[in-house]
Order: sequence, then structure tokens, then C-alpha cells
Amino acid sequence: MSHPTTNTVVPSICPFCGVGCGMGIQVCDGKVVGVEPQLNHPVSQGKLCTKGWSTPYAVDPIDRITTPLIREGDSFRPASWDEACNTIVEAINAAQQEQGPDAVGVIACARATNEDCYAAQKFARAALHTNNIDHCARICHSPSVAGLRQTLGSGAMTNSISDIALADLLVIFGCDPTSNHTIIGGQIIAAKLAGAKLLVVDPRSTRLAQMADLHLQLRLGTNIALINGLLNIIFDNGWEAREFLDSRCENEAALRRKVEDYPPERVAEITGVPVDKLIAAAKMYSQAQRAMLTYGMGITQYISGTNNVIAISNLALVAGQIGRPGTGINPLRGQNNVQGACDMGALPNVFPGYQDVTDSALRQHFERAWKCALPAQKGLTSLGMTQATLDDSFRCMIIMGEDPVVTDPDQNHVQRALQALDMLVVIELVMTETAKLADVVLPAAAFSEKSGTFTNCERRVKHITAAISPPGEARSDWMILGELATRLGYNGMQWQSAEAVFDEMASLNPLYASMSYAKLIEKSGLQWPCDAAHPDGTPLLHSERFSRGKGRLIAVDHSEIDELPDEAYPLFLTTTRLHFHYGCGSMTRKSPLLERETPVGVLFIHPHDADRLNIRAQDPVRISSRRGTVETRAMLSDELPPGTVAMPYHFKEAPSNQLTNNAQDPVTKMPELKACAVRVEKIEVQEAMPG
Amino acid sequence: MRSYQLENLSQLRSHLGRRGALFEPRQAEDGGELHWLPMVDSAWPHEVEETPLLPLTSPKSFFFKEREQLFYFDGKQFVETLPDIEPQTLFGVRSCDLCAIAYLDQFFAADPYYQKRRQATLLVGIDCLHPCDGGFCRSVDAGPFVREASADLICHRQADGHWLLIASTEAGEEAVQGLELKAANEASLRQRDLRQKEVSEKFPDTSYLHAAIKRINNSDGGVAHTTWDALGLQCLTCSGCTNSCPTCSCFAIFEQTTDEGVARQRCWDSCYFEAFQREASGHNPSGEAGQRVKRYWEHKFSESYAATFGRYGCVGCGRCEKVCPGVIGVHSVTKRLATAS
Ligand code: SF4
Ligand code: SF4
Repeated sequence: MSHPTTNTVVPSICPFCGVGCGMGIQVCDGKVVGVEPQLNHPVSQGKLCTKGWSTPYAVDPIDRITTPLIREGDSFRPASWDEACNTIVEAINAAQQEQGPDAVGVIACARATNEDCYAAQKFARAALHTNNIDHCARICHSPSVAGLRQTLGSGAMTNSISDIALADLLVIFGCDPTSNHTIIGGQIIAAKLAGAKLLVVDPRSTRLAQMADLHLQLRLGTNIALINGLLNIIFDNGWEAREFLDSRCENEAALRRKVEDYPPERVAEITGVPVDKLIAAAKMYSQAQRAMLTYGMGITQYISGTNNVIAISNLALVAGQIGRPGTGINPLRGQNNVQGACDMGALPNVFPGYQDVTDSALRQHFERAWKCALPAQKGLTSLGMTQATLDDSFRCMIIMGEDPVVTDPDQNHVQRALQALDMLVVIELVMTETAKLADVVLPAAAFSEKSGTFTNCERRVKHITAAISPPGEARSDWMILGELATRLGYNGMQWQSAEAVFDEMASLNPLYASMSYAKLIEKSGLQWPCDAAHPDGTPLLHSERFSRGKGRLIAVDHSEIDELPDEAYPLFLTTTRLHFHYGCGSMTRKSPLLERETPVGVLFIHPHDADRLNIRAQDPVRISSRRGTVETRAMLSDELPPGTVAMPYHFKEAPSNQLTNNAQDPVTKMPELKACAVRVEKIEVQEAMPG
Repeated sequence: MRSYQLENLSQLRSHLGRRGALFEPRQAEDGGELHWLPMVDSAWPHEVEETPLLPLTSPKSFFFKEREQLFYFDGKQFVETLPDIEPQTLFGVRSCDLCAIAYLDQFFAADPYYQKRRQATLLVGIDCLHPCDGGFCRSVDAGPFVREASADLICHRQADGHWLLIASTEAGEEAVQGLELKAANEASLRQRDLRQKEVSEKFPDTSYLHAAIKRINNSDGGVAHTTWDALGLQCLTCSGCTNSCPTCSCFAIFEQTTDEGVARQRCWDSCYFEAFQREASGHNPSGEAGQRVKRYWEHKFSESYAATFGRYGCVGCGRCEKVCPGVIGVHSVTKRLATAS
């Protein structure tokens, strides 16, 4: 019998992007039947985006994995937890005995809770004795962490989302928050309507660009030249924040010398932005009372990603637009807990709280706390693990809820590597493309089925409780990893509750030192650092001094994109996200409405280019790069500059990552997902078209 | 129609609770927000109310489910899956939402899934004694006091703190049978009418709304394309307005493989989705966001729809304004339309 009504509404947090909107989960007879926005939520104030509203489909029990699965030939058979864990432990032991501890590694998940991510890195370090632990921040914001740590000492959003309403200028750099961080995008629209000025820097003519007071439509990959040009103009006119530079920054002279090489005319030539617009933007930003700068993957997904972030930081420091309400440098993070996954130390080089694994004092501190010896060298990144597999020095990988087969660059390469592993363990909700390659698949609990904490992009840690129980034998990741650790002979992960995991983490992570579940619930979330000096958290970073002391200006140079268009591959391909989908699509694509909205992959192409190639809307097209070929349908869009085509990365039917370039940022190994060279052809109707 | 005097609502509530589940707007354990939740205590939790309490979620999902299976095919035959609903009561529904239910009753008149739920439900309305935040029922003939035909029972809190109970339908009359009730006098009914006038006057000015309605109906120069397009640029296609609006009734049909076989299901749709009206050929009569914004507001305020349904499609609850991240809910849009050149 179907019961018509809602029994209860459990407050929770939307599982998609880094904004962390409040969401009430409507539960009826133990099932999620709907969601509702929360009016009194500090961030979202009664709003949700399409993805949020479609959450009931994402956690729909249909298609969920409900028991452990073990590969048998080309298919899987259900297995007991006991058998699955034994199989995994045997493979790990064999690999480590033959090739040492670093032959195995863990990929944590930026959608998992802090408790799960803490458990993942502790599992790698204490139970597997390796620092081979990473997660997908690698392919979105590792340059933010690396860049801002050098310049400011902390790689997170400096201000709070609510500061949008306080700024009199909003600068949106290389991102479209209205589609990827919709609720922030909406707050930017509201601020603009209320009288704030809007400056957009983006090769695309995004929604906000269309509303902007000034849009700098720069050529793909010319961010540093543009910023150096703006700095040149600012210094030239004496528009810099003199007092702020003198008292709070260092290394100004070197930066000044560097940006002398970037006079407006040269910058106009490199970037394609006319001189008068450069001057207008430099003035607008440096002379605003409170200018808040927000950036996204249009900054980070380049081989120059870290330098791009440093350039952004230079700009904010020189203009003194940081450390006050309504200002700051604000990277928009992709996944709901990518900030938390980094804070938890699900990274190959740092313990929780960004404490360096190579620092022996810190390491000893963790050795005492965890009662075990810890490895002293940095571990491999996720792409490093893939590479090491192909080089035969890496054999066993545990992946928590990520789908690198769809989301990582150069798909064929990733697939080959995962297939070459002795043992691939995937902890997942549903059978993703990656899970299909696994040797063992373990059923995970969804966000609605577990308690724990998430940290949003403004560093706000919020607690959620389980709304329903997990289907079948699915469990929280921290429980699964604890079980594996015990079987590997490490007894330090036998927690009885998510709260016990959190408390242990808080005792070792200075940023979370004064947090507890009780306090998080009472205060409706707390922003880190939250310690004895800041018991109520810190909405605004760097107000008196920077985390590293002085703000460091670092001279950086423009460098070309790794793969420029040429005769054979004459167009730039850039990857984008669609408002309606998220990551590999394994959650959002279960909604019939979102699936209808954008059918099986598209190529966006400017009408001029389409015209030249004789392509009309909906025509089947073939896109080729030096690495692969993809077939899909064309959609005309004048939001792109001519010469650039774009593909979203959500669709396994038309995987853009067959095409993308694996060239990496030298600092963070961030792959250049935002630009590579391709050729586009129309497929004539006689030829077959898949889908 | 009969009317009675009540000391407080407890006795009535426990009595109705005996018929089956009773749902009311109530705070969940977390405090703060109001949701439609089962009654836990016969004492009305809002006995001393300062402002009316309208949950952000409309009660439409009691009848028109977010997602519902219509039938399935088990390999041999099609099996209809009509819901099996026990009698239930919605208690404390406000006039705007009751008008919306009356509107949906017409739209879904021939829909067995909706009707099955609707017919098992007793509606108990409560008169609002204060304007709510963002509400403007007064301006669209949907409140603040409960319209007689829209509820089975109506509760009205009098100045003396006692309640007037009006049984406005047969079902309402039947539902209170077995309670010992004292008939109310004519004077309390007259008092109620006077009180309604008084409360109506407390609502904020909505002259912009009336100006906008005129223009939506093509008088006063109509609305320029460019105005709709500017509003369309602000729609972030979240579907929040259509999900939250108590009169929005569009749904999509899709197939889903379940344990029983292939099931035909339906779910709430949104006319703000680009593909809502897209045809197989790719042609789309509302391919531009501006056209979609226009269509939504025409459905709410055009006189031709009003003629069919006997009222505007908007009941003045203000929910769309609260949930819209793009700042194009009812107040924002009508203010813009009223002043656009
Ligand atoms: S259009 Fe807006 S104010 Fe009117 S009934 Fe719908 S949600 Fe309420
Ligand atoms: S709530 Fe606003 S943004 Fe969302 S679909 Fe409705 S009009 Fe568009």
C-alpha cells in the first residue's frame, strides 16, 4: 500500500556542489520522497538549484548496489562482506610484500563526509603505510590550494558567501556561478539588482557576462597576461593600495619589474581585450570600496593553473581588496565536500589541517596519536598512481565514490591503467563506469543515509544526520575502511560512531580544534579556523594578518597553452559543466527531467564556425584530437568565442575526456582540461550515428 | 452550513485524529521550519499565534505526488496501480492553499490518482488574522479568510480567544458528528465578516501587482519582448517556483524498470525547463527563457485562464518569491512589469 504523506523532514545539506545549501529531506515510510529548501539556512535561505531539487532521484534505491560484489569473468556475483574484505586484504598483502607499501593507494571522494575522508587518509597512512592518498580536487582546485598557500598561507575562500551582499563590485573570473554554483550565482544577481557593479572576465559570454557592467572576453588561456596588464595599469596610475602594500605585503619590487613587461598594448594583443576595457577594469577593481573576487575552473584547469591563482592573488593584494568584509579571493569549489576532503588531508603531501607529511616533528605527533610508524615521503597523486600502474610499480587501488573513467583526462589511458591493476576496489552507490572495471565493488551509504559533517566552500562545517537507513548491506565508508584496517592488522580505526571519528580528527586538525557535533548543531555550522582563539569560528580570513604572516607577491609570466590549434586540429576545445548535471552524471542522470533537458552529450559551437563547417543545430558531428575521437550532436551557441568549441564532461556516451590533454601543471599535476586542439567534422547522414 | 462554538481546538483535533492520520503545519525536531507533519499532540501548537504559519512546501503533494507510479507491465499485462488511501485530515490549511486545492480539483477532475487521494481527505481551514510574510491573498481573491466552498471545516479564532467552527460541507458536518457542540449565534458570523475586512486592511500595498496584471493582459501597452528576455536571463531553471507553487500541476511521464516490471511513472515537471515543450524535431515553441517566463506568468494572471478556472492561477502565497534564486518571484516580476517601459 502506498502511503500518501510525509512522515518526517530531516534537515540535511545538498549533496552536489560546494555551496552547501540547506535541504530538508522528506521521508515517508523509510524512503526519500522529496526535498524542500530551508528558509533559515545561513547560505541558501530557502533556495535550491535544479540538481538539489532532483536529489530524490539521485538517492533512489533503484540501481543501488546493495551487497559487496566480486568479479567473475565479465560479470559480478554478490558476496558477503567477509569474503569481499578477505579478497581485498589478500591482494593488498601480496602487492605490498612483493613491491613495498607504495604499491597500493586510495582515492578518497570529495562527496564523502569529513569522517569518511579522514578515515581514508588514516587508512592509507596508518594501515597501508603509504601517503598514496588523493581525491578529485586534483582535477579542480589543487592549484588554488598550492597557489594561495604560497601567497596567503591558506588555500580556501577568504570571505563568506554572505559577503556578496556587502560588496560594491563583484568580479567573476573564469566561471559561471549561475550554472555551477547556482545559489551563489543567484546572490550575485540579487547584489547586481541592488546596485553592485559586476565585472566578468571570461572567454565565454556567460549569463553574468550578459548582465555585467563590463565584460573582458579574453582569449582562452591568457589569464596571467591579462592580470599582469591590469597590474601594470594600476601601478602606472598609482591606483595601488599603498598603505596596505607597505604594511601587509612583501616582494612588491619584483612584481613591479615583471609587470613592466606587460604594457596595455601588448596585453591587448595577447588577450584580445581592447586597451580601454583593460583600463576601465583596472580602475573599477582598484578603486572600488569593497571588491569581491570569485573564480572557478577557468583559472585552475590549465597547465599554468597555480600561476593563474598566484596572479589572481597578486591582483587582490595590490588593490588591497582582501581581509575586509565584502572583498577577498574566493575560489568556488566543485563538489560538496572538496574543501573538507582537503582539510582532512586526503592529499598525498599533508596530514589533516595541511600539516606537511615530510615535517618530522609533525609526523612524530601523528605517529604518537595513531600509534604506528608513518611514511616520510610524499605519496602519489591520482594521476601519479595511474602512471605508476602502467609502469608496473603500482598494483592495488581503492576508489571511494569517484568515477575517474569519466572525469579524468585522457580516458583511454585511465581505463588501461585501471584494468592493469591486480586489484581495483570501488566503494560506490551505483555501477559507474569505473565500478564496472573493479575486481571488488563495495556498497556505500548515500549522504541521506549517514551522519557526519561536510565543509562547504566558505569553510563552514555543518553536521547532518541520517534520514533513512542504507539499502541492503551498504555502509558508511569510514566503517568499511575501519573493517579493512582491522583485517590488515591495524587496530586504530575501530570507531563506534561518526562522532568518534570527528572528535579524533578535531584533536589533530588545528583548523577544527574547537569543533564538536554539539557545537556545530547549536551554531548551525562553524567556519574554520575554529580554535581556542576563535571559538565561534572565522567568517573572514586574513583580517589582521595573513595566515603566513605577510601577503607574498610573486611575479609570474604568461605561458602558452600546451597544445595550441594548428592546421590539423584548428579549433580550441574547452570542457564545461552543465547546470543540469554534476560530475560523471551518476547521480543527476537518474532524474528523467534532467536527462531530458540535455540528451546524451553535445558539442557547443559558435554559429560562425558552424557555418564554415556546414554544421547546423542538431547535426551529428565528429570531434577528434591527437588522443581520440568522439561523436555527438552540435548545438549552436554564441556564448563561446569563434574558434573555440566546448563539451560538457558528464556523458559516458560522448566522453569529452577521450579528447582532452593530459599535460599537467608542474606544481600540482593539474591536467589542462580547459584547452586542447581539436578538429570538428559533420558526419554525413549516410554514416551511422550512435545514440 | 452550520456553525458551532469551541473553547479550544483540542477536542476537535483528537476527534478528527480518530478518523485517520491528521497532518498539520508543525516544526520538525530541528525547530525553525514548518512542515506538513503528523499530529503528535491534540493541543493546537499555534494556539497563540502572532503571524499565520504557512509552510514553504505547499500541501499539493498530498494529492498530486512528486512522483507516482501509474501502472506497470509485468511481461503479460498492464496493471494499474491506483493508490490505496486511508481517510486523512489536513488541519490548519490556510485560505490561499485551500483556493489552490480547489483549483487543482478542477484541473485533475478526471485524474483517478489525484481523486483517490483527494476524496479520502478532509480539509480543515483556519482563518489568518495577520498578513504573512510576502503573502497577498487579499489581492487575488484567495484570503485571508477561508472561502466557504474550499474547506470542509473552517476554524476562526474570535477576539475573545474562543473559536468559531463552521461546517461548510456535508463531509465536514459528518466529521464533527459525535462531538458535543454548541451552536454559534448569528452575531459571531457577522463578527467574522467584520474581522475579515479589518485584517484585509493590514496587508501591504500591491498596486504594482494590479498594474502588472493589466499589462500581462495586454492593456496599458502590454509587455515588451525585451522585458521578458531580461527576466528570462535571470531564470536559473531550478524548478523551485513550479515545485513550490500550490497551483502548478504539470507533470512528465517516464518509464522505469522496477522489480515488478516496466513501470510507467509520472513526476512533477517544470515549464521553465527548456525541453518542456521541445518537440522531437528539435523545434521548440518556447525555446527562449523569456518566452518561458512569459508563459508562466500568463498562466498565473491572464484573464483567459481565469475565465476557465473561475479565478487567477495565483493564490498569493508568495512562495515563488521565497524560493527563486534568480529574483524573479511574483513580487519581483510584477514590480518590474509594472514599471517597465
Ligand atoms: S505564483 Fe507564486 S505567489 Fe502565486 S500561488 Fe504560485 S507560488 Fe504562490
Ligand atoms: S524559481 Fe526562479 S530560477 Fe527557479 S525556475 Fe522558477 S523562475 Fe526560474
